[in-house]
Amino acid sequence: MNTDPHTFDCAQAAPLIPAWADGELTEARSAPLREHLLDCRDCRTSMADLRSLSRWFQPGGEQAVPPGFAARVARRAFAGDTGERAAPVLAGDREGRRTLDFVLVLTAAAAALVVALGLAMRASELPSGANLHADDGVELSTEEILQRLKSLDEELPVEVERQP
Amino acid sequence: MGALTMTAAPREDLALVRETLAGNQLSFQLLVERYAPRMFALVRHYTQSAVEVEDIVQDTFLKAFRRLDSFQEQSSFYTWLCRIAINTALDTLKRAGRNPVQAVEDPELVPAPERRGASLPAPEARLEQQEVAEVTQRVLGELPEIFRTVLVLREFEQMAYQEIADLLGISIGTVESRLFRARARFKDKLLSLYPDFATS
Repeated sequence: MNTDPHTFDCAQAAPLIPAWADGELTEARSAPLREHLLDCRDCRTSMADLRSLSRWFQPGGEQAVPPGFAARVARRAFAGDTGERAAPVLAGDREGRRTLDFVLVLTAAAAALVVALGLAMRASELPSGANLHADDGVELSTEEILQRLKSLDEELPVEVERQP
Repeated sequence: MGALTMTAAPREDLALVRETLAGNQLSFQLLVERYAPRMFALVRHYTQSAVEVEDIVQDTFLKAFRRLDSFQEQSSFYTWLCRIAINTALDTLKRAGRNPVQAVEDPELVPAPERRGASLPAPEARLEQQEVAEVTQRVLGELPEIFRTVLVLREFEQMAYQEIADLLGISIGTVESRLFRARARFKDKLLSLYPDFATS
């Protein structure tokens, strides 16, 4: 850091001014700043500005400690109160939770409806495997079967017949 | 309960801490009595609700009691308590959905503000102390938490840079630069909220 007052410029001085005003600057850092302030009106203005700013920080509206506060806190501490609070339910959370509850109820109702429909379909009269027949249950004689096969052959295209 | 009485001569914080750890409720009560007013004043910078302030201060002491055995005796009890109070206040605000204004950027990387043409006059000539305090609280409330905290610790609590550094877990150089930026932000915000205060 440049501590030569002759080459010490405003850019270097500016960040040091608050610390100097706060009495927090070491002598080694204060000396070049003091020299600079003597020569620089702008930085002196900054210094005055800073002092004005500090005067805005005034205590006001102090809140009195309620009577019996210390005794109550000590009692609670020794009773095991840890001071950790559960997160309160926020207004936005409440709205979101209501929506979530509604969606959950709706989903549960839909699921129940699907299950009920499934059970109803299962209970309805549907053909079982034992009752199913490829011939639709119509009994044919051998001649009738041959006749049907012959008619089916006649319906087939010629190209099919030529295949080996 | 120990044999200590409330009229005993003032004792060092460390002695009271050790007595509390040994099970003396009255010693802890003395610590609470000693620091409650400053904690109320500190927390007041984070919320204007009197009920909330009391709850936060109470939780601060309860948390301090629970962590008392982790208190590093090298630091001051007050500084340690401040750290708990600030964290408790910020947590409370977050839980209540009143997120303190967060810095959207790394405060240490924010370029130093340009020198402004307008100056800020001292307030006494225009306003009563209570009015000044109200204006200041409003402006502080508009600042990112990181700047508000460093200003509160320095300007209201009159903490030395080293204390602030210890409390926030940052270097003294960082305290310096953060304070520099915080003050500039405070001035800018004050002048933007109350342009009549500016003098050219």
